[in-house]
Amino acid sequence: MKAALARLAPVLACLGLLLAWQLGSLALANDSIPTAWESLRAIPAILTDKESLLNIADSLRRMAIGLVFAVGVSIPLGLLMGRSRAVAAFFNPLLMIIYPVPKAALMPVIMLWLGVGDLSKTLVIFLGVSLPVIFHSFEGAKAVEEKMLWSGAAMGMSAAARLVRIVLPAALPEILTGCRTGLVLALITMVTSEMIARQSGAGNILFNALDMGQYDTVFAMIIIVGAMGICFDVAFEAGRARLVRWSEPQFDIPLSFS
Amino acid sequence: MTMRGITDLLLGLLPIVLIILLWQALISFGYAPPSLLPPPGQVFARIGEQLLDPSFQQNIAATLFRLFAGFAIAVVLGVSIGIAAAVSPAVNAAVRPLVRVLAPLPKVALYPAFLLLLGFGHESKVILVVADALFPILLSTYYGASVVEQKLIWSALAAGTPPRQLLWKVVLPAAMPSILTGCRIGLVISCIVVFLAEMITSTDGLGHVLVAAARQFQAVDMFVPLITISLLGLILNGLLGFLRSYLLRGFPEV
Amino acid sequence: MNVMPVRSDNRAEPAPTVRPKPIISIEHVSQRFQTKARRDHLALSDISLDIEERAFVSILGPSGCGKSTLLYIVGGFVNPTEGAATMKGRPIKGPGPERGPVFQEFALFPWKTVLGNVMYGPRQQGVKTGEAEAQAHALIEMVGLKGFENFYPKELSGGMKQRVALARTLAYHPEVLLMDEPFGALDAHTRTRLQNDLLNIWERDRKTVLFVTHSVEEAVFLSDKVVMMTRAPGRIRQVIDIDLPRPRRRDELLLDPRYQKYIVDIERMFDDSGDVELPS
Repeated sequence: MKAALARLAPVLACLGLLLAWQLGSLALANDSIPTAWESLRAIPAILTDKESLLNIADSLRRMAIGLVFAVGVSIPLGLLMGRSRAVAAFFNPLLMIIYPVPKAALMPVIMLWLGVGDLSKTLVIFLGVSLPVIFHSFEGAKAVEEKMLWSGAAMGMSAAARLVRIVLPAALPEILTGCRTGLVLALITMVTSEMIARQSGAGNILFNALDMGQYDTVFAMIIIVGAMGICFDVAFEAGRARLVRWSEPQFDIPLSFS
Repeated sequence: MTMRGITDLLLGLLPIVLIILLWQALISFGYAPPSLLPPPGQVFARIGEQLLDPSFQQNIAATLFRLFAGFAIAVVLGVSIGIAAAVSPAVNAAVRPLVRVLAPLPKVALYPAFLLLLGFGHESKVILVVADALFPILLSTYYGASVVEQKLIWSALAAGTPPRQLLWKVVLPAAMPSILTGCRIGLVISCIVVFLAEMITSTDGLGHVLVAAARQFQAVDMFVPLITISLLGLILNGLLGFLRSYLLRGFPEV
Repeated sequence: MNVMPVRSDNRAEPAPTVRPKPIISIEHVSQRFQTKARRDHLALSDISLDIEERAFVSILGPSGCGKSTLLYIVGGFVNPTEGAATMKGRPIKGPGPERGPVFQEFALFPWKTVLGNVMYGPRQQGVKTGEAEAQAHALIEMVGLKGFENFYPKELSGGMKQRVALARTLAYHPEVLLMDEPFGALDAHTRTRLQNDLLNIWERDRKTVLFVTHSVEEAVFLSDKVVMMTRAPGRIRQVIDIDLPRPRRRDELLLDPRYQKYIVDIERMFDDSGDVELPS
């Protein structure tokens, strides 16, 4: 009984939040804040509108491409930094400077150079995701026990082979934590870059609706984007648990109670 | 500084120097028009100029105000809720599902809602900063507080500490390393979020400066706020680092 | 199969007519735990024991026999599932400064200096800062750490940390010292030094000590009484009086046949599972 309740708790929390919203908006009686019910009802309208769907699909596509490239570049870089002091010293200050700059804020500059199209938005997502993945891969690689590598060397493995076959799997739990952060950031960067450079995408829909006073659409989009965030997170967690079943529970810089 | 330390520093400055050289080269050799990519000398000169300009200083002040306000609220809320959730099963049961649902949400998607609720001034941005910075701080605090060594608590109890004072005298200090790690992340997030919020809608602040310059196609003026926020982030991070060293001077290196 | 605790002395002489009143009484205490595998684990089974005032009593047994649990029950950190422990006739409901613990893991407050740690108890009891500081300085000197007052625990060796832990507990003047394998985390050499130092300190005011260990030699060297426990579920196998003169000196005792006999006898009483540490 207790276990079932525990599993239902997040769902109950959602319902609780929606209820609080409903009551709050009724109490406020503000035209610009629609009730939860009105917003929920606006969702099917969005999901069946071809234009909106295309926008959302564009968003997801850019996010996916940016993610894949980011992960592909960042993990090797992070691993290298973790095992080579020189490489780490080379890249660290540079990354420290880039870190506090919101990548979506680079949008105007990048747009100046690359135009308003997909490339700028994808590039920004790429940049946004790279940093946490590099950092976590770096930390994970650094923490790999020396003795494991010595055993590998004794077995005749080359440095490259050791990197791929020992460091990578050993650092995998930490790397995946970085990917999870990266996923969250990808979604955020995607939405914000679209809010700033309005041309297509979910963020675009949001602010268009805001400009046109279609407040229930605004909130409906918020719910949709929120739901996407939760779904990605749940899906990622399931995949991660499968991949690193062998490791101790990760609690480093926790993103959620998992 | 050790020999190794010096080598590290030089090695670290190298990419930055290289990039600046590359930057200058692109312009000098005509690969990039100055209207799109102003030369580094011009950019740094402009930064110097702007830092002395009162209206730019006001923008920095606005951004800093929102950043600090949001961060401070996030710290107070995050630490208190985190500790409460760690020591009280009731609070834990209430907070846990809420965090699971809210944490993966991109809070920036809520920004339009905040705008509608709180208007276009400081408040909506501060609330957005709080919403984004809260969770890393909360979770780190929760984690730190829940792994406090049982024997520390027992030692304090045996020494005569009344149970309700344990939170303040043992749990909070013992969880400090974790809390400060969360604060560090929260601080960076605050920098990022406040800038973004100002870019999306604002009448002042560094983010607004960037967008205004973009509308005028003033490339130089676009670089200024970006570099400024980066420097601000570095400085604040450094300050937090000093605070951390001081507060954690007794703790073994993690 | 209930082994009745043997409370008689080892000696052939009749017991003295006036026995000191027990300061701690443990009556039919049992402790049950729920493990993660949802199984019931009986850690202690029907323990009854009296601890006399000013006695140095060791609880000796193999790992997992519940001896630490018994200590925690006396300390008030754990409530027994059955039975009760009392101190001076009053039931033990929770931790308190009358029963001061010293743990194997030291459990020093890492954010406080040595001085800060030792001053903690007195400050809790309302002693003014100046007075508490003076008392702390005296204690720190007594445990041999003069000059280290402003060091942080992380800067100290294991042996030094344990000295601080001892000073910290002594600072709030407990009537009973509860020591949970305090020297278990230390190397052999530091261990013997601390055993000697502990006895020297104890000789000054002879508090009641309850000392948990899995080392036969340590138990015999330090104590007036050795309570031998079985493996889980822990029961009292035998209580042995150690009739060796005090003050005890290690170099003298090592050559003393009575000391050697105690050790051999106790070891024989444990089965040869190798759980109990033999003297090297």
